Amino acid sequence: MFRGFLVKTISFVGYTVQYGCIAHCAFEYVGEFVSCSGPSMEPTITNHDVVFSERVSRNLCRIQKGDIVIAKSPFDPKMNICKRVMGLEGDKVCTSGPSDIFKTHTYVPRGHVWLEGDNLRNSTDSRSYGPIPYALIRGRVCLKMWPPHSFGVLAESPNDGRIL
Amino acid sequence: MKTGRMFRGFFVKTISFVGYTVQYGCIAHCAFEYIGEFVSCSGPSMEPTITNHDVVFSERVSRHLCRIQKGDIVIAKSPFDPKMNICKRVIGLEGDKVCTSGPSDVFKTHTYVPRGHVWLEGDNLRNSTDSRSYGPVPYALIRGRVCLKRKKNGLTGRTSSKPVWTTSPKMKCYHAGRPTFSLEIILNHTQTLSYSSCIRSLK
Repeated sequence: MFRGFLVKTISFVGYTVQYGCIAHCAFEYVGEFVSCSGPSMEPTITNHDVVFSERVSRNLCRIQKGDIVIAKSPFDPKMNICKRVMGLEGDKVCTSGPSDIFKTHTYVPRGHVWLEGDNLRNSTDSRSYGPIPYALIRGRVCLKMWPPHSFGVLAESPNDGRIL
Repeated sequence: MKTGRMFRGFFVKTISFVGYTVQYGCIAHCAFEYIGEFVSCSGPSMEPTITNHDVVFSERVSRHLCRIQKGDIVIAKSPFDPKMNICKRVIGLEGDKVCTSGPSDVFKTHTYVPRGHVWLEGDNLRNSTDSRSYGPVPYALIRGRVCLKRKKNGLTGRTSSKPVWTTSPKMKCYHAGRPTFSLEIILNHTQTLSYSSCIRSLK
């Protein structure tokens, strides 16, 4: 009886490991659901929205300007940030605010991207911590799943003038 | 009628073969992701500790548990090329003070490593592009910690027909004017990949 119980436990653990690995690879290579918090991407993504972030573009290096991406925070390896890509490597980006008189620019170094939140007044992004390495990007947000009344593809950047 | 059955049998076999491949591929991927992987190193930046074409084993557990420490050799994604990896030693963790001037400079300059970043340097200071040129690297770019290196000949120097997983007993690094870190690995001299303990000492 005990041996039968042990065999059942081992096969249960085996199945769990098997399907856990398959699920992990699906999240790693296909996409995952992410719950966003914070005001830095308003009005495109508001607090407690659930979005679907696909991994294919990131693995094929097809992230483009204007994409909203989920990336690992450069200041906390356990946290993720959700921002919009305003510049790729080699691009010229505007580092001054929209209300500044003197415009300052910088070039995004090789292998890095420049991220900005849509809510420029209330967002900590590349304007404060500089460009982040492309390798920190986890996925590209392609669909908003929750709340139901705003289900669908996400809007374009409200700060189009800042994309040079 | 018979060809239809044959075709269906072949189709079912193909589907089950693909299913098994995906299954075991996923399990292998998770093993490499959460346990460790073999890495072939190239370049002179970590000499004499790791030379060109050395094969090392890099474990992932320390990175996931955030237990990377000063003096560890790590594999990290290159901040300038997301498809390339770099192999350097961790000289400073977040909040540490690191020396940014060379050993031969008259005026010493220092900087503090920002939160969530590490300061990486190669052991071969004269021939290494590292944090001294591109600044501190975010901790999230670290992939794993190098803990074993494959020796080309047997430990006794005799050429053995099978490659043996031993390593040099100490991986010491000396920097003029900086604290000395030594990483000592004691290995059971069997032909499998078992290792008995990993002792680290800070002098």
